Amino acid sequence: MMLKNNLKFVILGFAVILTLISIYLALIYTPSHETMGDVQRIFYFHVASAWVSYLAFGVTFFAGLLYLKSKDFKWDTIAFSSVEIGIIFCTLGIITGSLWAKPVWGVFWRWEDFKLFITLVLWFIFIAYLALRANAKSRTSKANLSAVFGIIGFVCIPFSFGANRIWQQYHPTILASSEGSLQASMAFALVFAVFAFTILYIYLLLAKVDIEKMKEIIDKIKQQVGG
Amino acid sequence: MKAVKAIFLKELMVEFRNKQMINSYLILSLMILASFRFAFSFIDFSISQLASPILWISFFFAGMFSLSPTYKREIEQGTREALLFAPISVSTIYFGKFLANLLVILCLELFIMLLFFVFFPLNIPDFLALLTVVAIGTIGIAALGNIISAISSNLAQSEVMLPVLLIPVLLFTIIISSISATSELFAGGNLLDVMQEVRFILAFDVVFIAVGYLLIDYILED
Repeated sequence: MMLKNNLKFVILGFAVILTLISIYLALIYTPSHETMGDVQRIFYFHVASAWVSYLAFGVTFFAGLLYLKSKDFKWDTIAFSSVEIGIIFCTLGIITGSLWAKPVWGVFWRWEDFKLFITLVLWFIFIAYLALRANAKSRTSKANLSAVFGIIGFVCIPFSFGANRIWQQYHPTILASSEGSLQASMAFALVFAVFAFTILYIYLLLAKVDIEKMKEIIDKIKQQVGG
Repeated sequence: MKAVKAIFLKELMVEFRNKQMINSYLILSLMILASFRFAFSFIDFSISQLASPILWISFFFAGMFSLSPTYKREIEQGTREALLFAPISVSTIYFGKFLANLLVILCLELFIMLLFFVFFPLNIPDFLALLTVVAIGTIGIAALGNIISAISSNLAQSEVMLPVLLIPVLLFTIIISSISATSELFAGGNLLDVMQEVRFILAFDVVFIAVGYLLIDYILED
């Protein structure tokens, strides 16, 4: 337990330092974009948040599969914790993306763009996942049903992706994308931000899993006391 | 196979014995279409462009309400345990219920289409193609709706949870592809023009049926 706590502190310290460096890289180190200007700097955090949300939902999918196979509540806790973090980063990704889109495309949101579309669908699916868990009647049914729904939701993603590609043909994109090519320093800052956010995600996941475990212990104690 | 047939017939019997239920589905379909018609009566709109989203959203909502009691009534009437004790596999129950749902929703959709062409008069060059798209789209709705209905029947507030869970997984996969295909047909296309969507919807159907077959055990076991 002691060792595990130490490890967690190391990861936390690592995440904080990496995030600070990545802020420095994004705001000061990289030159401003030739066509988009300083607005483009939000891109590093935007891509990193979106990546973490996809990673988190992917973790939920695999943890759900492992739960159904092993029936070990440990996996269910991981799946649920990962969804909560994923939702936060997904929301951040959508907000930063909209902030970026407004000056560049002139609109906050483009319904035709498949990346935006997929992210929004993921967000909807996992909001529904949280609603499902809130309405479950027992611990087992909560774990079973949410694992099944998490798997269904994740399986749907490549399909909504494809469906959207077909759908797009009838709604050609009107606004031309003005993304220029990335300079080497920009690419470095991007990779660094993604790495920093991934470490941050790992820390948040560990912390959230611990909180969930404590909640379960408290529930057990409450039951023993006769609450 | 015999067990699937037995479950299928049992479901249909329950469904059609209760005439009020069928009647309320039909009235609901009428109400949905009427509300679309009146909502759009204030604006100048081109029927052929709006028709296919209206048609599929009506299908979706009418179908959803008919899916909701599938597993819930087993719990309410205490027949769930008996069904699970029966010497048949759980996936048999799924297939039986899926086929029954499919038939009920298809009947409902035919009724909706009848009303639809009264409210929104349209020319369709290739009616057979439209029926094909509707039929394969419905397979997906019934397959996925069945699993989600099984999930939501075990939850508190199951009536609300069914649409909450069903919309994000169904709307962006089957419904969007079907709307796209149907728009093309309303614009004068034929079945060959929408082959891409048709193939896609068929892939959905296969995947959703497979997912239901593999996962229904875990939903019903607890």
